[in-house]
Amino acid sequence: MRKLYEYPKSRAAFERACKVIPSGIYGHQGPVEGCYVPIEAFPLYSSKAQGTYLWDLDGNKFIDYMCAYGPNILGYNDPDVDEAAARQRAISDCTTLPNPVMIDFADLLVDTVASADWAFFAKNGNDVTTGAIMTARAYTHRKKIVFFKGYYHGVSPWTQKVDYPGVIEEDVCNNIYVEWNNFEELSRVFEENRDQIAAIIAQPYMHGNFMDNQMPAEGFWQKVRKLCDDTGTVLIIDDVRAGFRMDLAGSDHYFGFKADLICFCKALANGYNVSALCGRDFLKNTVSSLSYTGSYWMSAVPFAAGIACIEKMKKIDCPRILNEKGQKLKDGLIAAAAKYGYTLNVTGMPSLFYLRLADDPTFMLHQEWIAQCVQRGVFFTGHHNHFINAALSDDDIRETVEIADEAFSVVRDRHDK
Amino acid sequence: MDERTLAYINLYAVLGSLRELCRLDDEAKRLIKGEDISIGFSVKGGPEATLVFKDGECKMVPGCESCNIKLPFGSPKKFNGLINGTVTPIPSKGFTKIGFLLKKFTKLTDILTSYLRPEEDALKDERFFEVSTKVMFYVIVEALCQVGNNDKIGRFSAGNTVDGNVKIGVKDQFYAYITVKDHHLTPHHEEPAEYMSYMIFEDIHTARDLFDGKINAIVSVATGKVRVGGMMFQVDNINRILDRVALYLS
Repeated sequence: MRKLYEYPKSRAAFERACKVIPSGIYGHQGPVEGCYVPIEAFPLYSSKAQGTYLWDLDGNKFIDYMCAYGPNILGYNDPDVDEAAARQRAISDCTTLPNPVMIDFADLLVDTVASADWAFFAKNGNDVTTGAIMTARAYTHRKKIVFFKGYYHGVSPWTQKVDYPGVIEEDVCNNIYVEWNNFEELSRVFEENRDQIAAIIAQPYMHGNFMDNQMPAEGFWQKVRKLCDDTGTVLIIDDVRAGFRMDLAGSDHYFGFKADLICFCKALANGYNVSALCGRDFLKNTVSSLSYTGSYWMSAVPFAAGIACIEKMKKIDCPRILNEKGQKLKDGLIAAAAKYGYTLNVTGMPSLFYLRLADDPTFMLHQEWIAQCVQRGVFFTGHHNHFINAALSDDDIRETVEIADEAFSVVRDRHDK
Repeated sequence: MDERTLAYINLYAVLGSLRELCRLDDEAKRLIKGEDISIGFSVKGGPEATLVFKDGECKMVPGCESCNIKLPFGSPKKFNGLINGTVTPIPSKGFTKIGFLLKKFTKLTDILTSYLRPEEDALKDERFFEVSTKVMFYVIVEALCQVGNNDKIGRFSAGNTVDGNVKIGVKDQFYAYITVKDHHLTPHHEEPAEYMSYMIFEDIHTARDLFDGKINAIVSVATGKVRVGGMMFQVDNINRILDRVALYLS
């Protein structure tokens, strides 16, 4: 049995943080939104990262399957990306006039992403999903937006629910929510809101939290595409999370349709802060008309990093290798669970798999198992999809499965007693 | 804030907490000893329930059909006026038993107020602190259900909540649970045999500090002073309703 990790330095840092930072660590990287159950099983701060590994403040080493919640696609500190970034940093970064590396990056995205005729840059996924909604409303002169239940499109008020703190009814009164994969309901909503719907916004498949991920039903996207064409509605694909882990040409391309607008962030530059809204030619003038920018949106270093990242992803055929690695891991984890009489559901693309122990509807068993894995050096989280990066080796996968096996044995023993 | 939701809270959570008060407070126990009387509250366009005092206990039952004293209110706002002291009720039934209403019942509600809106010094007494916190806990649990069932935003949160029991309590001391069924919330003043999710306060002082807004709920979860787990999606929605309870109870 491996020695269980402890985190006294993380705890001390968190106590210090709580005095000067609201909730210590806010958002999804914090212990509450991150669903760290029990809290004692998880580290809270990192000291360094390399490749597929993360070290916490107490010196514990983890095989990190959260990959900074997606940005780490080639491995932390990828030498090619870092070198390109360093080269650009020596020239210029945040300047009065943008550096032409911005045009190079846009050119590369237009060449890479099937539905892209242009690229518009920002910093976070939320910036570009919001830009996409503004574009759709400006183009159609309509107000309403259709979402699929279980969605996540960022943190701006329009993306949140009416019962979230700081959100008012007027922020979300034009939101319409329909069930994923239910084309009948979607059609009905369009009938009931004729000439009022500006856009459908969706992830390429349902990778919401607290539920097994669901692929689109056969022909679903093609029907949605046609519905949008027939009604003059803008189809927005939020590829922030899945982008480049399914298909370098975009996740819409993977499923055989063309989005009007597609949003990228996380894996775009291997951790350098840039996001991109790409789209079709007919929306280019509308995007030009938006009053929408930010102080750092034209910083050159992330553009250089993004170019290096995309070129390397192309060179190594990144989605294929990530899915192969993910499949190996998935097979190993499912077998380890079965050895102890458990059923582990591993859903979604193997490159961004979601885990759920199906033997307990309350998730408590699942939370116990995740906690045991984390305390042995595999950084999983309870209720979010995970991410594979290219630096993950076969040895790492083997070790992960060994740790998962040991964690299952502990949970089994505990519940057999 | 919605007057109708507030009326449900005032009836089921505030007056409903007389049940716990009569179990926990010696003076309250003494006041209802030997009584066999019931007071019905009938709110037009709002809730209707009866407080029954019998066999040294107090309980609340739905409807006003068999009450001894009936207090009708023309609107939720009028009923809320009774609770905040701006409306004097006129019974439509039970004039012969009005003495209980004017004396003992008024005394009971005064005791209840002393626990729900306590003086800072009173809380220094350990027993008072414990009773006050426990009564407040059940008021909050009941109010949470009323907000989830009646308030517009609360109903939205309840609409996103999956079926099953949510266990809430102070570790090793007292518990309650909320049954969610088809997005309707029902409170229970006991520990559940089974539950989908839980929210457990480490000790009574943590619970109290949270009720009084002296400590941050997110930090309390992050530091393990409040344990949250199980079906997180369920407890997350319950917490959203809890946020709105503060709006009504404040």
